[in-house]
Amino acid sequence: MKSLKSIFSFIIPLTAMLITFAIFLFTTKVVEDYKLKISNDYSIVVVSSLPLIKDNLNEFAGIKVKNIVTLEKNDIIKNMKENLSAKSIELLRKKLPFFYKIHLENYPTTLQLKEIKEEIKQIKTVKKVEIFSKNHNQIFLLLLIIQKIIAIVFVVILIYAVIIIAKQIKIWFYEHHEKITIMRFHGASILYSAGSVIKQAVLGAIISFFIVAGLIILLNENLSLVFPLELQSVVNIKLSVQEELIKVFVLSLFISVSTIFGVLFKYKLKND
Amino acid sequence: MITAKEIYLSYDKNRFIIKKGSLHIRDKEFIFIGGNSGSGKSTLIKSLYGDIGLKHGEMFVDGHKMKGISSSDLRKLRRDIGIIFQDYKLINEWTIEENIMLPLKINGYSNDISKKQALNLLSHVKLSHRKGYKPNQLSGGEQQRVAVARALAHNPKIIIADEPTGNLDDYSAEVVWNLLKGANEQLGITVVVVTHRVPKNFGIKFRQLSIEDGIIYEVS
Repeated sequence: MKSLKSIFSFIIPLTAMLITFAIFLFTTKVVEDYKLKISNDYSIVVVSSLPLIKDNLNEFAGIKVKNIVTLEKNDIIKNMKENLSAKSIELLRKKLPFFYKIHLENYPTTLQLKEIKEEIKQIKTVKKVEIFSKNHNQIFLLLLIIQKIIAIVFVVILIYAVIIIAKQIKIWFYEHHEKITIMRFHGASILYSAGSVIKQAVLGAIISFFIVAGLIILLNENLSLVFPLELQSVVNIKLSVQEELIKVFVLSLFISVSTIFGVLFKYKLKND
Repeated sequence: MITAKEIYLSYDKNRFIIKKGSLHIRDKEFIFIGGNSGSGKSTLIKSLYGDIGLKHGEMFVDGHKMKGISSSDLRKLRRDIGIIFQDYKLINEWTIEENIMLPLKINGYSNDISKKQALNLLSHVKLSHRKGYKPNQLSGGEQQRVAVARALAHNPKIIIADEPTGNLDDYSAEVVWNLLKGANEQLGITVVVVTHRVPKNFGIKFRQLSIEDGIIYEVS
């Protein structure tokens, strides 16, 4: 009963931290998917007096340029053809500036958009830049805010979890102090002597992982119960279960093992 | 085997328990260290296995310089020592067989060999019938016999015993003395025993040291 209680003191904070981490991974994926979806539909229109050298335009505000599409003058003239004479059309063809549509690899934030506009305006031949800032996506901004909040919550819970886990490991070291001392009197290394504490922590990490893995699988199979169908048409809320489980497992072991070694190092310094 | 030259030992800065202590213990000797309670007998033998550091002076145990000894050298030294404590220091969550196997496993012996040696020693200390028992299921005398068996298990170069018969009945005390005598005579192990009562008619050659006011004397 006592050992069950002590392993729970280790598992609960670790599980809470892993759940927050899984939520963080989920929101990051949703934001990334949504970003990709809207960045495919988004472009900046640039009007230039001379043709742009596309090879020189690789990046704006740290975002890579996916491609630059030249808008055909003929398509623009075609719309006006009916009202103009052939001579006027020819003159218009010569006088018309060059139109481009710039597609970016990532969807920019509002700040990045302003930065992009300024950067493009630096090009001497550019007459006008249209970034369509009014249409800039509000859902995306909301998702970004949610993602940032979850990241902050995750970091806070991570810190608290590590403190609680470290305290529990310290209690285990205290409980096994006599045994560790006896083993060290016989020439065992600190790692060998603390084997039972390490085993207990690794067991705790594995139990926590299975709890969180179970929750992820359960959620994945009942996504439609948790998220309304309407939302699923706006953002892709599918979980990449395998990828998430690997990340959760690695984090679970990493936090447990690194906390053990931190406490072990302190214990060694105190007792050597 | 063990040489100490003008050593000072203390737990705090103000009071030295051993002052300017010197001793020389040769290979395969049987040594008794006597003295009144609080004279520093236990402190002295703790310094032999590095549980307490030297404040001043020089000490060599089995070729290891004890002042400033590194953790890895201390581990090596301790693997060549068998320690018997007055309070037995057995691991209560393990069986007595597992307790005896401990130094063997630390020294890298396989589980099978360790088990075989543990059973052999259990028969020597007349506790074969209790191999699956945990230490707290045994009497004090039986626990100390297990502790002696554990100290002998890996055939150490030195056995250090702190009042090994202090809490024992006559029968258990005799078993313990016979085991220590056998280790010294038959296996050639150097034995250092702290005791305030040297047994009469001990039967083998031994040397006796005494500590008074922190100073080590040879008892003629």
